[in-house]
Amino acid sequence: MDLLAVGASPADFAAARTQMAFTLGFHIVLASIGIGLPALMLLADWRALRTGDAVYRELAHRWAKATGVLFAVGAVSGTVLSFEMGTLWPRFMDTYGQVFGVAFALEGIAFFIEAIFIGIYLYGRDRLPPRVHLLTGVPIVLAGLLSAFFVVTVNAWMNQPRGFRLVDGRVIDVRPLAAMFNPATPPQAAHLILASLMVCSFIVASVYAVALLRDRRRGVTDRYHRLGFAIPFTLGAVLTPLQVIVGDWAVRFVADRQPIKFAAMEGIEHTEAGVPLKIGVFEIPNALSIALRFDPDATLRGLDAWPVEDRPPDAIVHLAYQLMIGIGVALLALAFWWAWTHRHLIRARRGRPGGRSPVRWSPWLLRAATLAGVGAAIAMEAGWTVTEVGRQPWIVYGVMRTTEAVNPAPGLRFGLYVVLVVYAALAAATISVLLRMRRPAAAPAEPDGEDGERP
Amino acid sequence: MSHADVALGLVLVGLSAYLLFGGADFGAGFWHLLARRRARATARSRVDRAAGSPGLVESWRVGVHGHLEAPTRHESTSYMDRGDPAIVRAEAEQEVIEHAMGPVWEANHVWLIFVMVMTWTAFPPIFAAVMSEYWVPLSLAALGIVVRGSAFVFAKALPQTGWYAWAFGVSSLLTPYCMGAVAGAIAAGGTGWLSPSGVYAGLLCTGLCGYLAAVYLTADARRLAGREVTERFRRGALAAGVAVGLLALPGTAFFDVSSPLIALSAIAGLVSLALLVLRRYLAVRVSAALAAVSVLWGACGLSGLDFEGAAAHDAALGVVFWALGLGAIVLVPSLTWLYVLFQRAEEAR
Repeated sequence: MDLLAVGASPADFAAARTQMAFTLGFHIVLASIGIGLPALMLLADWRALRTGDAVYRELAHRWAKATGVLFAVGAVSGTVLSFEMGTLWPRFMDTYGQVFGVAFALEGIAFFIEAIFIGIYLYGRDRLPPRVHLLTGVPIVLAGLLSAFFVVTVNAWMNQPRGFRLVDGRVIDVRPLAAMFNPATPPQAAHLILASLMVCSFIVASVYAVALLRDRRRGVTDRYHRLGFAIPFTLGAVLTPLQVIVGDWAVRFVADRQPIKFAAMEGIEHTEAGVPLKIGVFEIPNALSIALRFDPDATLRGLDAWPVEDRPPDAIVHLAYQLMIGIGVALLALAFWWAWTHRHLIRARRGRPGGRSPVRWSPWLLRAATLAGVGAAIAMEAGWTVTEVGRQPWIVYGVMRTTEAVNPAPGLRFGLYVVLVVYAALAAATISVLLRMRRPAAAPAEPDGEDGERP
Repeated sequence: MSHADVALGLVLVGLSAYLLFGGADFGAGFWHLLARRRARATARSRVDRAAGSPGLVESWRVGVHGHLEAPTRHESTSYMDRGDPAIVRAEAEQEVIEHAMGPVWEANHVWLIFVMVMTWTAFPPIFAAVMSEYWVPLSLAALGIVVRGSAFVFAKALPQTGWYAWAFGVSSLLTPYCMGAVAGAIAAGGTGWLSPSGVYAGLLCTGLCGYLAAVYLTADARRLAGREVTERFRRGALAAGVAVGLLALPGTAFFDVSSPLIALSAIAGLVSLALLVLRRYLAVRVSAALAAVSVLWGACGLSGLDFEGAAAHDAALGVVFWALGLGAIVLVPSLTWLYVLFQRAEEAR
């Protein structure tokens, strides 16, 4: 069969891109939780083991249950992506599969280790000594981080292709490690791993923020909800300022290496000196030139510096970029608010006898934290949109166009329809299962013995 | 031996492991569905009498080990006649399946990822050609994988929701059927997946998975449940073994296979039936696996794909081999531990 002989119809091409974006966008949130939640679970388990505190133990058990469900959905939704690499983009795989294959082989190994130890940790509690059981959780977290890293190297390679030469449409001189450790790998990997931990932290915290607000209305204090909120929220709050720094690095990298993507992100239409910074409908004169080059009159290339057929759909990239930045700034403000609320803890940790009364958290902080979960996930999707749509019309930047990669088989759009239906049901089912798995003590009728309500 | 040969060997090892472990998990879904249908059929005839039932018990409770447990199926099916032996037996069968699959199915599933990654790295044009040509059945298989895995954990989290168990069973049939159909179409030299050879191979693959599952579950049932459940799986394994054997016979004639692998498969299949009759449940796992995997190897010999011509550059493959070699140092002991830990008798607790 000659793959290069025919082309896909525009409708099928659009469907293939939509399907990839949709399934990846779905997986990315679950993958984030799959990386972060085992870490939270392990942290609670470790505290439970150290202190014998029943509340930590219950958190560890709850988070293990949720991990069991969400890891499985994440694993299978990730498998779909492996299939789609071939069913949607066969010509991309045909030409370049061997160049980035090693990254996926390593990712496969990491995923294998994750799956093995998820089984051991979740089902082995009664079969292993507590300390050994705790240690079996460590490979889950490490392998999760590594597999995120390996996958991102491939996306980084699509932005900065290296490690091969192209002769007559076939690759030669393949250097897989040069492909994997391409220049975009460090900023993209750091940015994505931080983002995934933030998304998980803020989503978990938002669930407990809702519970705390409800407790507040009822006039009760539940330490289970307080810890369930404070642990992930603190993690998210610590990571947010780091993410701002890494994000700045990532933007500068894009400005240097993929200036057309940068022009789309910042909405620079014409090449000019003294470029203003556009925020929504406002413009701050010369601010972008200052921010990027530390020179108010620096010249930045606009989209008109490139031929029309090489430009990405800039409106959506610009919008997504602003959305990501806006949410990032809001999360940063929330992180500082959280730190300010606990300033006495940061200042003086020593010399305090036990039994201090719990810090009062402003209901407005909790309301904002409720939104932070969804917000962080939206920011991640927006960031992903920036990097993916901003790379268009290329699937491999400057080397292969997305239209050249797509499966020419007719009817791809029907695949999209089926996927949309199945994933909508999957999302609804996942959320409903998680809601029904909640601790029943939250129900007013049944306070839960040892670690229920405390005055 | 060239790099391409090694890579092909690795793909075959991965495919075999996926059939023997992942395939058996799909087969287990079939037996789960069958047990459920039997229980339902019995319950339906009695549920009318149980009007005014106490409703579903939906609460989680703190179990003996201090952690939370889902309501058992006994509570969840309290509207049925609890004492009904058919329902009790069906539930016991399902519990054996869930117990056996729970810790290992995700690891077993990764063999598929391994096969796909190895194929697209080592033989990119073949991966591209197969995936684009058979995108419909392969997309269905992928969606089946999504539904199967999700429904399995959902059903475990909420045993009172019968829907998830049903979705688990049905998708466990869909996925091996679609994969087998693609394999059959390739083996027949590129016919469609809906062609007779595709349909035949889809059924054969589904049957093989069901057979393997019944064989494995017989030993699991002896370890986890009573004699009665073990006997049911044993009878299932015998029936599935005979059925798959009869199904495989015309295939050898149709595809004109004269490989010694077919003889190997037939002998191993007969030995397995004998071992099942003799109740040698651990030995039969080995012979049944051999019977199934030799069918796979025989089919691979039919494909006529040009692996040598499609192979990636040695530089690319060399790095992959190194990565896999280093990974195996961690993987092999971990995987062994996983299986040993959960195959150990329950008394070890």
